[in-house]
Amino acid sequence: MPRSYAVTSLEGAHVLLTGATGFIGQAVLERLLADHPDTRVSLLLRGRGGCGGRDRLVRLLRKDVFRRWHERPGGDEELAEAARRVRVVEGDLESVRGLPGDLDTVIHCASAVTFDPPVDQAFGANVAGAVRLCQELAHQATPPHLVYVSTAYVSAPGHGRVREEPLRHTVDWRQELASGESARAETERDSRRPEVLRRLSREARRAHAPGGNQVVAGHTEEARRAWVAERLVAYGRARANSLGWTDVYTFTKALAERATEESWAGRPLTVLRPAIVESALRHPYPGWIDGHKMLDPLIIDYGTGAMWDLPGDPDAVLDLIPVDLVVNAILAAAAAPAPPDAPHYFHVGSGAGNPLTYGALHDHLRAYFDRHPLPDPRGRGHLRHARWRFQSAARVRTALDLADRAATTAGSALEWLPGGARTQERERRLRHHRGELARQRHYFEVYQPYTGAQGRYDDRELMALHRAQPPELAAGRGFDPRGLDWRDYLEEVHCPAVTRRLRDAMSLRGASAGRGHGAGRALPAATDAAAVFDLDGTVVAADMVESYLWARLASGSLPGHLAELLDLARTVPRYLRAERTDRAAFVRAFLRRYQGADAAALRALVPEALADALLRRVAPEAVRRVREHRAAGHRTVLVTGSLDVLVEPLRPLFDDIVACRMESRGGVLSGRLVEPPVVGEARAVWLREYAREQGLSLRNSYAYADSYSDRPFLAAVGRPCAVNPDLRLYRYAARRHWPVVRWGAHVGNRWEVLAETVRAGEASTATRSYA
Amino acid sequence: MSRPGLVLEVDERTPPLLVCEGEGFRLEQLPHGTRVVYPPTSLPGIRDLDAAIERALREPHGSEPLSALLRPGMRLTIVFDDLSLPLPPMRSPDVRQRIIEHVLELAAAHRVDDVELVAANALHRRMTPAELRHVVGDRVFRSFFPHHLRNHDAEDRENLVHLGQTGHGEDVEINRRAAESDLVVYVNITLVAMNGGAKSVSVGLASYRSLRHHHNVDTLQHSRSFNDPTHSAMHRSYDRMQDLIGGQVKVFTIETALNNDAFPRSLGFLSKREWEWNAADQAAFVGARRGSRLLPPALRRRAFHRVAAPWGVTSVAAGAPSAVHPITLRHVHRQQVTPVAGQADIGVFGVPYLCPYNVNSVMNPILVASMGLGYLFNMYLNKPIVRRGGVGIFYHPLPNAFHTVHHPSYLDFYEDVLSQSTDPAVVESKFEEQFATDPWYVHLYRRSYAYHGVHPFYMWYWCAHAMEHLGDVIFVGADPTVAARLGFRAASTLDDALQMASHTVGSSPEITYLHAPPLTLAAVS
Repeated sequence: MPRSYAVTSLEGAHVLLTGATGFIGQAVLERLLADHPDTRVSLLLRGRGGCGGRDRLVRLLRKDVFRRWHERPGGDEELAEAARRVRVVEGDLESVRGLPGDLDTVIHCASAVTFDPPVDQAFGANVAGAVRLCQELAHQATPPHLVYVSTAYVSAPGHGRVREEPLRHTVDWRQELASGESARAETERDSRRPEVLRRLSREARRAHAPGGNQVVAGHTEEARRAWVAERLVAYGRARANSLGWTDVYTFTKALAERATEESWAGRPLTVLRPAIVESALRHPYPGWIDGHKMLDPLIIDYGTGAMWDLPGDPDAVLDLIPVDLVVNAILAAAAAPAPPDAPHYFHVGSGAGNPLTYGALHDHLRAYFDRHPLPDPRGRGHLRHARWRFQSAARVRTALDLADRAATTAGSALEWLPGGARTQERERRLRHHRGELARQRHYFEVYQPYTGAQGRYDDRELMALHRAQPPELAAGRGFDPRGLDWRDYLEEVHCPAVTRRLRDAMSLRGASAGRGHGAGRALPAATDAAAVFDLDGTVVAADMVESYLWARLASGSLPGHLAELLDLARTVPRYLRAERTDRAAFVRAFLRRYQGADAAALRALVPEALADALLRRVAPEAVRRVREHRAAGHRTVLVTGSLDVLVEPLRPLFDDIVACRMESRGGVLSGRLVEPPVVGEARAVWLREYAREQGLSLRNSYAYADSYSDRPFLAAVGRPCAVNPDLRLYRYAARRHWPVVRWGAHVGNRWEVLAETVRAGEASTATRSYA
Repeated sequence: MSRPGLVLEVDERTPPLLVCEGEGFRLEQLPHGTRVVYPPTSLPGIRDLDAAIERALREPHGSEPLSALLRPGMRLTIVFDDLSLPLPPMRSPDVRQRIIEHVLELAAAHRVDDVELVAANALHRRMTPAELRHVVGDRVFRSFFPHHLRNHDAEDRENLVHLGQTGHGEDVEINRRAAESDLVVYVNITLVAMNGGAKSVSVGLASYRSLRHHHNVDTLQHSRSFNDPTHSAMHRSYDRMQDLIGGQVKVFTIETALNNDAFPRSLGFLSKREWEWNAADQAAFVGARRGSRLLPPALRRRAFHRVAAPWGVTSVAAGAPSAVHPITLRHVHRQQVTPVAGQADIGVFGVPYLCPYNVNSVMNPILVASMGLGYLFNMYLNKPIVRRGGVGIFYHPLPNAFHTVHHPSYLDFYEDVLSQSTDPAVVESKFEEQFATDPWYVHLYRRSYAYHGVHPFYMWYWCAHAMEHLGDVIFVGADPTVAARLGFRAASTLDDALQMASHTVGSSPEITYLHAPPLTLAAVS
């Protein structure tokens, strides 16, 4: 037999609301302002990002939840008037101070709601926060009625009915809280163990060696932090699973319930456990939702076809409840204070009264997306939605494992392909595919406990509360899910609400599909900015080996050409290895090939034969970009590991050229460089120094390069641009949202240019002395 | 003997006719009633060319013989037309080589030591040593290159002289060496009626400061056509400048005219009327067409640019430019003029792989436009072959291809200028100065092998008269994106093009096809 409840009114009451910026909190605040004109409201709000709690309230009032007010004539003024009843208490659950002394009701909505937070954060927000709130409330003259918003899933959804009563477990929340809070320190210590650091460092070096030591060190530290975060998540999940909870969220919420019961013992307490809360049915308007909730990524991935199956039982019940019904239940429960010695417990869900099975959900999704397919972001019509077969978990896991392995193999294979536009496109598609796989695995882990559950959350107490409401309020503020038409709610209200933003974004992308993206043409004028260009592969579609060949072949006879080519072919693997590990070492080693060359003859050969080859291989887009920078007043700089004499034809384009200078003894090149080559990490160091000397702002400056070894150089400026990037740089640029451009249309064919250079060399008068 | 030009009316007995489309050809079945304009068949070339040259130097028009103009210690400059003439290049020995050798022999005989040779390349790209060697021959190249055989540099301020202004306020600025010589001997090839005469020195040795007075939209719109000097505002400007130059510099010009032997025997079908093709011509056509489709673009281009023509010289005349040029023009007309009765609604033109500015290079979209709407459209006397408001149908694939060394400013013109406007007048007023004075283009023109920064503008002005005259321009077989950038339309077949043209000229238009090559100058009555 359910208990009997006396629902009074919150009229004249002083209500404290925590978690007002969250999904449920926003809706509760809106209803308090809209329907309870005589209720005073206090919010526990933490300042964030430089704005105080009051500013956050102002921002909160601009959100969609108040859309009805903003759309109504005079609504803004009414809202401002209503907001005068709201008092902001600056603070959060870590430091609850300065609460008003006359609180009648406290609605505690604040919690960490993600399924997989690091264990210390989950305990800090959910358990420790609740305890601190109770401790602070204990100072009130009259103990207020505490409405604690928990979750139905604190009881693992096993079999049979779960009653609305205190949880049955014997876990010591104090001990768990202490271990949870100390987990971070332990994990941080573990992460600094030499074997861990060595492994992380090795992996970072393997992936990022061409970027230089600083880059490798950065990645090692990044990997260590990721390792710590991952361990903390795993720690929480393992502990939750070992005690029978599905995840750390439900585990900490369950412990928080117990902690609240004990901390608020002998005082009025209501524990309200909503199931899966989704968009509003009616209030503040049909379909209102703040961001994506638990079910929504699943719906979107169903629509895009990415979530190709959902493992589990199609007859299992998905316990959904619209947010406005939850809000009504919270406010009704708040208006029905529990006796000090007998807390109230309510499940707010639909599973008991109006169950929706996963099979039915699938039918509704299919019907919806059949009628309203999602647009293809590439502008090619519409996407095909998924069709779930509810296969066994083991099968889906095997399929995911296989797909993961295939993606990893494909990723490794890509690294061996030349880094052209097609490789980048493959890499982009593979990255997208891997992202989808990771998301599916995440859903699989998250939803799997729910999709197999046969239990139902009993709601007899909630229905008794519903019936206890004054009849005139029951229609507008009721929370009986039995009247809910799932077809209407899912197909007409919820799915349109969830997919609206995505549709807008996809249509926009579709409209601009195929236009490509780039560094943009309009450059802001500035006198304190530099535009620094790498040469090989960026401005010129050639490398040092090719320019060396021009110089050599333009100045030799045919037998000499053959010998040179053979010798070069023999040593190329060695150079390639050197380049992959240390760009500077490669440059030094390669330039040694100029040893013994006649400096004057080489200089004379440049305008006669090499300038043409260089200009034939220069990307016109690069030249145009350099000139645009010039026109914008930027200082244009070329930085290269090539010999200075070889880049002389480009001098008119640049204010400064930083290239390698070779020692000359008696007019003969020695093969030794006067200064170390400005490549790799040295390039970033040089750039900082150069900016300081010239009084340039790196933040306003531009850098263009093609190789991963240029990463520190690119990262040193505010406006980097990856030009024809190799795969690693492409991956990094995509991650950092750097512009990626492809230059080199109309550039002369490599072999054709070589052949022309040989012919030009033969016609040149300068050839006789260099060889 | 040569047979006169012909206007063929296409009927059911007419075989498909050859149409050039860049580095390819097609046989097109033109609609019945289409008139096809063929030039006179090739005139015989002069057999003893050396004797003709000697005679021309000995018996000049309006001047004393060359030998009488030479004296010891004088400064002699021999100026010659650059690689833009003739098209395709002449098989060795080039007629310029033979003339220069005769002139040098005479100079040596008269103990003239201060001799320089200058290629009259104006704002064209410099000729490479190999190209210079081809034009002047091995012996002259070895004796004079690099210090006494040079390209004219229109941006070398030190070596330009401003001779003054014409009565119309036109600046005349030319090469200092030529201007300060005791005698300038100009060695010319007049391939079409536009070349030669006053144009030689006043354009070939000039700078931008001088050229902009006649290479502009207004002048070109009033040059109808620029192959008809008597009706060409451009040539009137040349004449004024030549008068000024002639008052200060002694110019002895040697002009030559060519016949229509524009292709070697292997491509002989290009110069023949289709119904006269023999089995060898048919096989050559099939082979050339198949080969051009199979070869990758770079190799195909190289193969085409290796073609050297066995041009025959039909006239060598020397003396004062004003006296010599009418003689040369008479020979050009004898070879190229075909009378055509009345204008058509549609003019059809096949754009070949070569124009004056892509020798050993890429024919980029702007050059295609200038070849089609400039050169071919202007191959007329009296009136264009198309009526005002009619439609020009051109054949060319219009690939988006550029030579980055030869045509850097063309690429920027295509990307930055044509994307904003294709109206020649707007382009001229808004962008010309900027491109003409851009230091980077100047650097590339002087030190590399680039056409001058302003050159793409001139090519675009070349089209101004056709653009103003035609109601619509359609390119058959063209890349639609490129055609759209140029402000034209693209059709995949002639039928499509005629369908598109029907909105402008109706569904039963009169069509005239100017068959080229060989070069034909239509005298439209």
